[in-house]
Amino acid sequence: MTDDIPLNWYLYFSAAAFAIGLAGVLLRRNAVAVLLAIEIVLNAANVNLVAFWRYGTPAAGSGPMPGVILALLVIVVAAAEVAVGIGLVLLCHRRWRAVDVDRYDTLSG
Amino acid sequence: MPPNVAPLDLRDFLCVAPAVVLAFWGLVVVGLDLGRFRRLETEARRLACGRATLVGVGLALGSALALAWIDATAQTDAPRLVALFGDSLGEYLARTDGLVFFGTVARGLAVDALNVVFLGLLAMVVWMSTAYRFTDDQGEYYALMLWATVGMMLMAAAEELATLFVALETTTLCLYLATAFERSRRRSPEAGLKFFVYGSVSSALFLYGLSLVYGLTGTTYFDAIGRALRDGGEGLAGNLAGVAALLLMLAGFGFKVSAAPFHQWAPDAYEGAPAPVAAWIASGSKVAGFVAMLKVFAHALGPWSHPSASVMGPGWLGVVAVVATASMTYGNFAALVQTDYKRMLAYSSIAHAGYLLVGVAAASVSADGAASAGAMLYYLIVYALANVGAFAAAVWLARDKGTEAIADLNGLAGRSPLLALAIAVLMLSLVGVPPFAGFFGKLYVFMEALRQGPSDARIVLTWLVAVGLFNSVVSAFYYFRVMKAMYLREPSDPPLRPARSAIALPIAATAALVTVLGVASEPLVDVCRSIAVPMLTASPLESPTD
Repeated sequence: MTDDIPLNWYLYFSAAAFAIGLAGVLLRRNAVAVLLAIEIVLNAANVNLVAFWRYGTPAAGSGPMPGVILALLVIVVAAAEVAVGIGLVLLCHRRWRAVDVDRYDTLSG
Repeated sequence: MPPNVAPLDLRDFLCVAPAVVLAFWGLVVVGLDLGRFRRLETEARRLACGRATLVGVGLALGSALALAWIDATAQTDAPRLVALFGDSLGEYLARTDGLVFFGTVARGLAVDALNVVFLGLLAMVVWMSTAYRFTDDQGEYYALMLWATVGMMLMAAAEELATLFVALETTTLCLYLATAFERSRRRSPEAGLKFFVYGSVSSALFLYGLSLVYGLTGTTYFDAIGRALRDGGEGLAGNLAGVAALLLMLAGFGFKVSAAPFHQWAPDAYEGAPAPVAAWIASGSKVAGFVAMLKVFAHALGPWSHPSASVMGPGWLGVVAVVATASMTYGNFAALVQTDYKRMLAYSSIAHAGYLLVGVAAASVSADGAASAGAMLYYLIVYALANVGAFAAAVWLARDKGTEAIADLNGLAGRSPLLALAIAVLMLSLVGVPPFAGFFGKLYVFMEALRQGPSDARIVLTWLVAVGLFNSVVSAFYYFRVMKAMYLREPSDPPLRPARSAIALPIAATAALVTVLGVASEPLVDVCRSIAVPMLTASPLESPTD
């Protein structure tokens, strides 16, 4: 493992992906772009999970649940989330003819 | 390295029988709706779906009660179980503690008691859903409510972060969709989308925090995380990744329980969602969120709570105190100016999240954590009951008026005095007026927060209690506005029609329960204290060493 890429590089990469995703969520107004940004954040966490699994030592009593399995679970959850999200965006698009989250303004106060 | 994983013990499914029954029954309801009920008139089909769902909830409740009986017998009279179920199954069931599914899910009396609470509340929510027609996709609606409850039950039972994450997502994904179900109105899809955007961002943040905790401790099991952190020593001081992980997980839970500043979705989602869905978001998902939060913060991350001597020093107690103060104050003051009944309840639920966070803070630093956690659970249960009843009144308004302004309740006392009295009881319980259960909930939570040894944590908690008491006074104003509308105003046109059982029963039952649980609060508090013990201590029976 000595010639491998160091763990830190993965962590910097995932932190950068996390920041990009978060900035996308906060700055983009298009609902589909927000969905994409959420996916980036989820995948940043996935990179973390797999990197920690590869380089870390499991704690005592950590059980048969290594990080790669968590990453697989997250991929499934992310797919379900996108399916639901796209459904909701379509529902709103039919009503407003717009996918900008700023335009949905029935509820406020 | 070949994986050395023990095969799954199929008997473990017995321990989550209520969740299995509900998950299966969701499919049954969808199937019945598309098959047998398809030829019925819309109205008859709606009622048939609701009744079919109630049957499933009843079956799940039966299995939860049976499990509770088995787990209670296991503690007192284990040989009887062996005699009843045979050697292998009997001995398996007679294990009084421990975890199932490789240590990821808790079992035992505590889990059964919470499942009974969830299913009782769900039965009322399902029943009030049959009161009026807000969607034509009945089968899907009820199935989503059932599946959301499966997620909640597993979330409250989870003992491992990945299980918790998947259960949390199961709950929220179903609730996003259920929120958007009233498609005839603009506000419902909008509420669903806003709920979704805030919710999925915060679960992504939670997941990133989870990955950092996994990296720091090498495990995702609550008990193992707690042990790793205790051995780690110096706590959060100078630990940037630890601080980030903690704040990210707090953001995730803060969203789930609608604590400020992660609350922005709540008013919109409550106002836009169909009233029964809002009731379920406000009660069931909140109970599940707080139980999970208690486990993660008090059990797993407890060693990080305040390892240093200074008040706002490294440790999350100070952060939670700030969040609790912000939630209580913001929720109550924002609720004062609301005219929409459901929106007011949304801000009130933000405020109650603040009170409950005081309980979480107390449970994690107290010498007797289980007593504090028990007080919080009691508060949580009576709050959920009062809220379900309050939302049943919103169902009534939605059915007869189409809007849910507080002014729509005008003159209710003249038309149906008993139900107006019951709603008044629920409001008084939410304010925290004796002898109703809400008062004792606040009393126990605040007493436990004050019952600390002399330490810096005590100063923080005393301040929190002071803020909480001040806020209870503020909250009285907006709850009393509901009573003023019912008792002092002239009825508005068109008047509310008689409630019928689907609305009257949840209101009356919850009002009766908060009265009884308040007048005789000791039994439930004792139960809550005893079920809080395994929540804060549960560890795998055998820790694999290799």
